[in-house]
Amino acid sequence: MGAVHIKDEERVGSEATIRLEPSVYLQKLYQSGTPDLGWMDQMGEWGVRAKPGNLGLRLKDIEIGSYGIVPEHGGEHRSMAPRGAVIPEGLPSLGFTINEKSECWADNVSELYEEAVARQWSSARDIPWTELKPLPDDLERAMCQLCTFLTEVEFIAADAPTRWMGQMNHDFFEVKMFLATQAMDEARHMDVFRKRALANGGGLGKASVLSELSLKRIFDCPSFSAQTGRLQLLGEGFVLTMFRQGEFLAPSRVDQEIFRRCMQDESRHVGFGTMHLRAQLKANPAVAEELHVQLDDAERILLETFSVPEAVEPMAILMGGGIKNFDKGMELQGQLWRRIVHEYLQRCDSAGLDRRPRCILPTDFNKLFEAN
Amino acid sequence: MPSFPDSAWFLTLGQLMLAEGELFRRLGYAETRFAVRVVPNNMSNGGDQIVGLVIDGYQLTEVTPVADLNEYDPDFVICGKREIWDRMLGEIEENGRPQLRHTLSSLALVGEELWLESTDQLREDKFYRFNQTLQELLNLASKVPA
Repeated sequence: MGAVHIKDEERVGSEATIRLEPSVYLQKLYQSGTPDLGWMDQMGEWGVRAKPGNLGLRLKDIEIGSYGIVPEHGGEHRSMAPRGAVIPEGLPSLGFTINEKSECWADNVSELYEEAVARQWSSARDIPWTELKPLPDDLERAMCQLCTFLTEVEFIAADAPTRWMGQMNHDFFEVKMFLATQAMDEARHMDVFRKRALANGGGLGKASVLSELSLKRIFDCPSFSAQTGRLQLLGEGFVLTMFRQGEFLAPSRVDQEIFRRCMQDESRHVGFGTMHLRAQLKANPAVAEELHVQLDDAERILLETFSVPEAVEPMAILMGGGIKNFDKGMELQGQLWRRIVHEYLQRCDSAGLDRRPRCILPTDFNKLFEAN
Repeated sequence: MPSFPDSAWFLTLGQLMLAEGELFRRLGYAETRFAVRVVPNNMSNGGDQIVGLVIDGYQLTEVTPVADLNEYDPDFVICGKREIWDRMLGEIEENGRPQLRHTLSSLALVGEELWLESTDQLREDKFYRFNQTLQELLNLASKVPA
């Protein structure tokens, strides 16, 4: 140990404001030479032997005995002491405010966490950037505007839910772990769309006031569940469809790979949101009204966001394969609109939220521009 | 030689998946039970062929002809006319992958040439969660002996 040279060792502690008190326990240990070992009698459930499955040792494989029980009410100690450990007296509270399982849980959360970890990808390594070829100017401009929009909106799904992470009782650590993967996914999405905009002779396009308003409303949601409805069910569900459209309209294999991989990530986020709301609505049916109010506003802003040229026209140009086929692109957009609305309402159904009577998204695309 | 959509054809695909283990490990594991439904070009004739498939991790672990979809209870069914499947497989044989707008996801998005059936959106979403794996699996058709 003495061989480790510490620079200016004589100065270490020379101006310390707190005096080091010797440890009573260490004094006793060094005097008697006998270890205490009392901690050996204070273990959680003992004799646990988790067995890995064919895909390794996953969270579901360690849900054994008392360790597999997620409490309805998070620990009163409000600390990060691991679920299932012996909880000593005097733990300082971290002040968690989300302490009920129904406020954050989803029954598929462990599965989605493991899947997210297993299916991570790298925008630097896994996208065949060298195959990128110059595109006609209209297509490149449209792709760059689309990438600008996605670069602008994607990271909200990291910034917003992680604001609640630090408020979640640590007995629901699986939810925190999943949200951490979602944050990583969104970082990669922001990174890959920015890279794409700058990789083929184009650049970033125009940011959007309406998109920013939409992001702000997500940011300002009063509860995790309200935010989940707004962000995961509507926002992420809508972006999932955009990624699928991106896979379809991609003018190159590079673009197709980008959108397909993002689509996979996004569908996990939507899956978590749907299942969380299902659990929450089952436990607290009154939350439905809070969700409806959020979605009333979110749907309105969504319609406004997609009623401006920089949002509508790039998709139509890419769909049609160029400005010359703009009408065809708009026609395809119209066909896909029904799918967007259909899948959104299906997800609401799956979550247990009867959204159909309150939904302001028209099922017919023409209603977006035809006068009443 | 087995031909699409015979179970034996999919079993060959499963063997190729095993042989290409590194590709699928890099994509990450998948867990889904789904079905492929091939509708005759003349739909009024009936006689759909349905094959049930299970991907467990990095392997195709189950291939079975399906008579009753309710009983099989797949997460989703990928449906398409024979000519659409044949076109996709032809492109895969030629180029190792389908043309840009003829991928599984692209065709299912428009919903005219391929379409998805499912009892629950959450289960249908597995088609998207594992889409790269599904497409790479089908792309192995280029290596199935003719």
